[in-house]
Amino acid sequence: MNITENPIFLTQKRLTHRTGVLAAVLIAALIGLSLLSGLIAYLADPKALTFRSPQEAGKVFYGWVIGVEILVLILGGFSKISKVLADDRKAGLWDSNRLTPLKPAAIVAGYWLGSALREIYMGAVLAGIGLVIVVLAKLPVMLWLGTQILILSTTLFFGLLASLAGMAFQRPQSGIILLLPLFFLQTFSFAFPKFTIINFLLPIYGIVNLFQDPNQAANDYNDFRNWSDWPGIFALPVPPILLSLGLQFVMGLFLWRVTVRKTANPFQPLLLRWEAIAIFALLVVVQQGLIWGIWHGRFPTVFASDHKFYERESLLPIVHGGTILVGVLILALASPLPERVRVEALRTGLGNLRLVFSRSAVSLALALIAVAAAASLPHFIFSFGHSGKAWALAVGNLFVFFLMFSLLLEYCRLRFKRRALGFVALWLFVLCVLPFILAGVFSSQALAKLSFLAPGTVALAGSGSDDLKYLYLVGWTFIHFCVVVLLFVAWRRQWKLLLATPSPLAPAR
Amino acid sequence: MSHPVLTIEHLRVDFPEVVAVNDLSLIVEAGDVCGLIGPNGAGKTTTMRAVSGLQECTRGSVKVDGYELAREPEELKRRLGFMPDFCPVYDQLTATEFLDHFARAYDVPDREKRIEGCLELTWLTEKRDALCEELSRGMKQRLVLAKTLLPDPQVLLLDEPASGLDPLGRIELRKLLLHLRGLGKTVLISSHILTELSGFCNKAAIMERGKLVMSGTIAELGQKTGRRQMSVKWRNADDQALQILKGAGVKNLETAGQGATFEFDGDADALDGLLKTLVVEGVRVTEWRGSGDDLEQIFLQSGAKELM
Repeated sequence: MNITENPIFLTQKRLTHRTGVLAAVLIAALIGLSLLSGLIAYLADPKALTFRSPQEAGKVFYGWVIGVEILVLILGGFSKISKVLADDRKAGLWDSNRLTPLKPAAIVAGYWLGSALREIYMGAVLAGIGLVIVVLAKLPVMLWLGTQILILSTTLFFGLLASLAGMAFQRPQSGIILLLPLFFLQTFSFAFPKFTIINFLLPIYGIVNLFQDPNQAANDYNDFRNWSDWPGIFALPVPPILLSLGLQFVMGLFLWRVTVRKTANPFQPLLLRWEAIAIFALLVVVQQGLIWGIWHGRFPTVFASDHKFYERESLLPIVHGGTILVGVLILALASPLPERVRVEALRTGLGNLRLVFSRSAVSLALALIAVAAAASLPHFIFSFGHSGKAWALAVGNLFVFFLMFSLLLEYCRLRFKRRALGFVALWLFVLCVLPFILAGVFSSQALAKLSFLAPGTVALAGSGSDDLKYLYLVGWTFIHFCVVVLLFVAWRRQWKLLLATPSPLAPAR
Repeated sequence: MSHPVLTIEHLRVDFPEVVAVNDLSLIVEAGDVCGLIGPNGAGKTTTMRAVSGLQECTRGSVKVDGYELAREPEELKRRLGFMPDFCPVYDQLTATEFLDHFARAYDVPDREKRIEGCLELTWLTEKRDALCEELSRGMKQRLVLAKTLLPDPQVLLLDEPASGLDPLGRIELRKLLLHLRGLGKTVLISSHILTELSGFCNKAAIMERGKLVMSGTIAELGQKTGRRQMSVKWRNADDQALQILKGAGVKNLETAGQGATFEFDGDADALDGLLKTLVVEGVRVTEWRGSGDDLEQIFLQSGAKELM
């Protein structure tokens, strides 16, 4: 269906225009024109402002314009779309639309492209003024084109994320939960701009790269802080704009599938298993590919001479931590609610643990571990005899962590039902964070290694081959594995109890 | 000859800690107006939502005009109109714009004419340019009904259509529903207020705790639930009439002026025979009323509880 004939798009357009767009557009225009007038003032009297050249002034003013554009389009658009969808769900209008013969894709497209029209108008005004600034400052038009393409693709990407948030959360503001991991990971990414995937998923590197002066590329004080070069995927240089667009496109395709599926049947799990594995594989392989050029498969021997010791020491453990975080998020999203598995068991008549295992996040965790292990192996490929132990420990750590999390999540859901989230948080705190706190209190490094996070990060941080250290880490990993076995026994028991429970009838009146 | 338009077979819906609908089978034929009655929590709304495809079923099948929900949901949606027990409207759209939204969604031919027709049918023509937020609850309810009627569905599912309406709103809605019945629409209507449905439905299905207790025509249900409460009035021959009634084995016979009330165990044919006997024997019957056909009576005798 053509979007201009899509009834949901048309209604959202009507609703947006009914509540007024002129004031919003004028606000955007005033902000943009203020910045444009600053540039004009500088061009008229270069001594009035402390810029070295019209180009520098143009970049500063244009930078402000796209800053406002990002705020309006990406953050404003996100909150608007998620709010409209959550409100329509609450009012029953989403269901009313689902009852029509409209295809789920048409419903999603209508909300996705129609809900934030006011923000799109504001963005268009700012983009137009930005073009004038770029032309007046004699900056390359590619700067404008590249940044606008990146902002547009990010707006669309976040729009899909917002649609999903609006469908998944009861309260519109809860949608922000989906953004928190991105912002959390972002804090690490500025230390290694060219090496972290988050700088490409959010196109920060691409935008900053376009602002860099190619003639001054060598003035960065080391390669880790370099925003001028192209990133490399397994040492193959890729234009940052293309990398961002490619990542957003592929991730967007998955988000599109999820939102359309959720519209067709809101009772289905958020992620299909193959989608969960594919998303995880994409993120992990690209991330490992981005840092492959540091060691060229000979971890821990560093090739670029200007890398500082602490940077190369910390990069792989950070990626390991990021892998755990992304894996945990994916496991949580793909993990089925126990009641759904029970209903499926009723439907199929296969109420056994085999069905449970095939639906549970535990089997998915095994697949994620295999993907993560394969993705990190290239760093060790030419130095396996020397540092294969570190890789094995990291993989062992992922193994116990992912299994621990998926077993814990499902056990708590089965055992504590609506109070499950609190208990999952409690146990994650006890198993992962508390050891670090106790280590600080009692000044004991050994206590810190009790944490489920410790063995992998410690193994990957060390560039030496201290056999005693590895022996300790293997010992701690074994202890963690014993915890996983205990959790497995409890998890199995809870599932058996649930499947053996006769179906209750509606309460007696 | 009527044919099944809505067929529900072995429908089961599970909620996390309860079976909301359990093995429900029901057939509604073309032109039937079937009341789905039961106490709060009996599973009426869940059944309606499952039939419309809004609620996932654990088991069972739903067919509308031969199209199965699980296989051809889009074809089924074209033939089914569902009106929920609240009023989902876009507050900032006018009544016409609201209907235009759904007319486009259903790809209704000759859109403007159809919208006008539905507004007229629901007595909202004068409010066509009013914002939805300015409409009263009853008007919103009628607007949602107009929206439901837009694609001219074969089957209408009306879930507690009068909930939240004031007495005047209820009277208006009742008139409208009677009009729909006159148009030959097949309707499945749920309510726990039985006076709403009396005189409107030709069939009823009684639910309790997720299960169908009984279903059938009102007469069949009256028969199934046993004794009918009857009242009769005549102009002459008190003694003769009373003798005939006593002879027919009626129970709890009480005289009331020139007439009597009694309970009757027999079927509809036996009841017809009794009336014939009275007339043939010269009793001038002026009123012959059976409360056995009354939904409230049927419901109370069905064993389902917590009537509101």
